[in-house]
Amino acid sequence: MKPVFLIAINFAREQRWPMLTLLLWVLLLAFLGLVSDIHRQREDLLFVFKLDAVYVSAFSIFFGGCAIYNERRSRRILGVLSKAVGRQQYLSGLVLGVTMACAVYCFALGLTGSWTLGGAGFPVSRVWFLMICLVAACALAGTVALMFSTFLNPFFAAGATAVVLGLPALAGQFLGPQWGHVIPVWELGATVVNSSFDSPGTASWFPIVLAAAETLAFWLLSARIFSYVDIAVAVE
Amino acid sequence: MPIVLEFDNVTKEYRSFASNRRLCALDGFSLTVEAGEIFGFLGPNGAGKSTAIHLAMGFMRATSGSGRLLGEPFGHPATRRRVGFLAESVALYHRPAERLVRFYGALNGMGGTDLEKRAREVLEIVGLQDHANRNAGKFSRGMLQRVGLAQAIVNDPDLLILDEPTSALDPLSRVMVRELLLGARNAGKTVFLSSHLLSEVELICDRVAVLHRGRLVRLGRTADLLRAGGQTEIVVRAVAATHFDGATAHDGVVSFRVPARAQRAALEKVWNLGGEVLSVNPLRRSLEELFLEVTADPKSPASKGVQ
Repeated sequence: MKPVFLIAINFAREQRWPMLTLLLWVLLLAFLGLVSDIHRQREDLLFVFKLDAVYVSAFSIFFGGCAIYNERRSRRILGVLSKAVGRQQYLSGLVLGVTMACAVYCFALGLTGSWTLGGAGFPVSRVWFLMICLVAACALAGTVALMFSTFLNPFFAAGATAVVLGLPALAGQFLGPQWGHVIPVWELGATVVNSSFDSPGTASWFPIVLAAAETLAFWLLSARIFSYVDIAVAVE
Repeated sequence: MPIVLEFDNVTKEYRSFASNRRLCALDGFSLTVEAGEIFGFLGPNGAGKSTAIHLAMGFMRATSGSGRLLGEPFGHPATRRRVGFLAESVALYHRPAERLVRFYGALNGMGGTDLEKRAREVLEIVGLQDHANRNAGKFSRGMLQRVGLAQAIVNDPDLLILDEPTSALDPLSRVMVRELLLGARNAGKTVFLSSHLLSEVELICDRVAVLHRGRLVRLGRTADLLRAGGQTEIVVRAVAATHFDGATAHDGVVSFRVPARAQRAALEKVWNLGGEVLSVNPLRRSLEELFLEVTADPKSPASKGVQ
């Protein structure tokens, strides 16, 4: 497990600049909480909170889709995989790294949300439940993107990920709500986006557990595909 | 001697699905490297050297054939714990050199004070002890290559696989690397060295293989390969140069070359003509001459000269 954690921490560290940029949006929420009347502006605060949540979901796809590509293009992957690190461990590290990067962001957003939204009457426990939903959605979205990036370039990997994550939502609209559960990123995102002060929503752990299970399944699939990939050839 | 690296009829093709083109980087490549030797792996650009190394490291899969690294099939992660690898273009994360070496050591299962001590030790070996806390992202190419070497040897590997380890180094650093490799051999380690610096290879390698267009065109002990095709130079006096083909005369001293098998007859001819033999020396060519000879002619049969 040690190499997995090392690769994960290394990956999260390598993403520090996009992460810091992303955290500026959390700072914006904190700034609004400081300068505005949080009771009168509570809908605006909730809107910024949801916006921040949507951004991290998009960034998880970006993180997952670019991870292998960047490592291969820079040839740093050779240094890591020349050690006693299996490809499955390497991918585990990347999945964990994407999840860690998103979890750090969600923690910061949770703290800021608890202070601003909590102060405006939104249940603090609900804020943290939404953050758990968000981390689960990011982990799954990042893993799906990582899976596609094992054989596609980041642009196509992101597109393919959007299709895979969006299709169950579309199917849910037209074929029945049970289809929305197939890949629950959309459902988890909707839990966050549809929250309001009037109806914060109920806590259903089923999509979170499903997302965790599917993250594992997509990780296994990506490890299988990645074991056949020639990593030393040019990626351009 | 036990075999530490073995390629058995390995073929590697790169396929372009867009243009339906195939490029054969390695074609029926077989080679064995024994424990305790420094093995030089030569070839022009595009010959397939890096492909062979990447196959051995498990970075890619062979189209056909197989191979073993330290007794295990290529791509076995635990085996790489005993291997040190330096890629052709060193690419490292941007962080202080010592932390970087510790990171790579930790990936190999090392840890604690042993790793800290070893990281400082290897940085000293490559002459970077004064730069241990400097960010590798700000290093020159030569310094990066030295950090790359440090991370390759941090786990005290049984087998070192080095792809162009001295390409960016100054002469002083090259001497350091040479001593490092000779020290490794003296300690019973094996070095698999791919390099274009033929003078370096000639100096330190026990055996050499030359790869050309994906095929092995020369393999043998360095000293044997450098004997110039069995030619001997004979220097005599008191004999006219006209008696020997291609002979040159200077101040009454005549020198000429004959194949080794014709040496005895030539000497007898000199004595019969009343001449005096001054010296008889087997001719030695440089590795560069051998390299140019075996790689210059694209029509040369690939198997020619393989010993």
